[in-house]
Amino acid sequence: MLSFKTPAVYQASKCFVTYGIMGHLDPKQPPSKGKPWATLASQDFVHSVDLIVPAEAHDAVQEAIAKRPAPEFRRIVLSLREVLGGEFFTEYVKKGDIMMLSQGRIGIDNVYCLKNGVLTMFLDKEAYESAGLVGKPHGVKGKRGLKPRWVVEFDLKGDSMIHGKKGFDRLVYASKNALGAPVTWLFCNTSKTTLNPDPVQQYSTTSQNPTPQISADIDAIQPSFQSAIASIASGDKDDLETYSTEIYEWLSLIRLESPRVHAGDQIDPFLSRYQVPEGGTRAKVCKISWHGFISPSWCRQVLIDVVAAVPSKTWFSFSTTTFSKGIAGEVSECAFLRAPGPSNEYLMWEVKTHE
Amino acid sequence: METRGRKDQSLAAALLARAHEPDEANRIFTEKIQQRPLFLRPSSPPPSNERAARRRAAEKKKEQRKKALKPKPLSATQRRKLGLYDVPRKDQKYALFEPLHNLWLGYIREILGSELYTGGEAAAAKLASADFHGAEVEIVRSGCVSRVGIKGIVIKDSKFAFEVVTRKNQLKLVPKEGTVFRLQVPGPPKGGDVPQELESAEADRPQSFVFDIHGEQFQHRSADRANKKFRAHFSKIL
Repeated sequence: MLSFKTPAVYQASKCFVTYGIMGHLDPKQPPSKGKPWATLASQDFVHSVDLIVPAEAHDAVQEAIAKRPAPEFRRIVLSLREVLGGEFFTEYVKKGDIMMLSQGRIGIDNVYCLKNGVLTMFLDKEAYESAGLVGKPHGVKGKRGLKPRWVVEFDLKGDSMIHGKKGFDRLVYASKNALGAPVTWLFCNTSKTTLNPDPVQQYSTTSQNPTPQISADIDAIQPSFQSAIASIASGDKDDLETYSTEIYEWLSLIRLESPRVHAGDQIDPFLSRYQVPEGGTRAKVCKISWHGFISPSWCRQVLIDVVAAVPSKTWFSFSTTTFSKGIAGEVSECAFLRAPGPSNEYLMWEVKTHE
Repeated sequence: METRGRKDQSLAAALLARAHEPDEANRIFTEKIQQRPLFLRPSSPPPSNERAARRRAAEKKKEQRKKALKPKPLSATQRRKLGLYDVPRKDQKYALFEPLHNLWLGYIREILGSELYTGGEAAAAKLASADFHGAEVEIVRSGCVSRVGIKGIVIKDSKFAFEVVTRKNQLKLVPKEGTVFRLQVPGPPKGGDVPQELESAEADRPQSFVFDIHGEQFQHRSADRANKKFRAHFSKIL
């Protein structure tokens, strides 16, 4: 009765706001259930992470971050056949813990992604028909028309996925014939162990480490989170909407390093009518950001570290943005703000695209 | 009823009066409308005399005999019952059809001649009317994905399907609809009949002549295809 139909036409992305109280964090047992943690874990490939803290907590946060650098990611060029054969397959795909994403836009090009051992291929009609693998229809139901698209999924960590078995051999046949072209991938080894004769090295690689970029000492006018949170806590729905929108807008402007939130900003109201919400005080804010091919489990760990490091009387904001699926620019995002104060209240904004 | 009848009659009389002289109108009105005969029984066929009946019977017999003499193709039920097109299990062997395949390769090389090395429109036209029994086909693309990857020698080329024997001695019936078949014809073996002028170009001779058949456009019996002119059509499925 309550099942929602898949949208027949394009729908804009939606933002879900949650107000809650975080429980006590035990660093030895990182939480995986519950609102901020489950949402962070459910994202697939994270593109950028932003952390906004007031200047007082800057040093504490720096220490926490330095202890946990982001795992290195590489850009490699190899074909699907090489992914499924040889050392790469046995070491990384079967035993290891990696994630890979191939170049392209999901509704337009043929995109392959590998996460948690599951290879997902988004194919157009010609590639699907030539590959000979069974898949499911992909795309909005009414819009498939003459050029339907397909998704094919294979669990490569399964027992039946070894050379010689029929199902796997069909996949190998497809990778030799229809899907044989070499593709540029983003590769990230999320497990802690590194292999010594690294099978990835032989493919032309450019390796990068997402180093945190810090823009410290942004002299900004900061709204008072306490009053906002207090009115939200009183339980009024309209208040939740207005205050959460205001705070999210302010946080986004800080992430964009916009001059509108700086102290002493004089702009002609004809050009911009933005005003920092009432009761704003002048404060120094610090923004730390990472860009790259990042795994959501690392994001979760960083959030746990930051929660532990930052004293409870200061606020901080943490947000992760994923790679876009389909339309460029339409990304899903999870933004988190922990309010200042002894009770661990938080606000979480979850932007989801319609897919 | 009575008044309506009289009103209608006066209408009929009025219409007749417009078209005919008054005497004529009156006569027609009385004879053909008022005194119109009402048939109680449908008109029966004219009573037959024996001569006509005999003539009709003789004609019918002649027609039936003519029809029986005309050869008709077997219906599907008749075919299945007779089992004419069944290949017995012991004969479903790939090795059995390999000599046929070699014969077919020779036949194709003979048809194409030098176009085996150049390809092009002329080769395509010749291939369109060629016979494909004994060809080794591989299904390269299909709307039904489970057919992709089937490879074997054609033993029957019917109007809508190819019957194929695979290397694992399995008989597969592959519909032509929405399917693309790939055939490869390697060049003639060394020491065979290679034309003089092409021996010099041995180094850059390609390995084999590969061509695709789009089953959608190929749904004709092999016998009918001999005189068919193929025109390029827009394919909705591609």
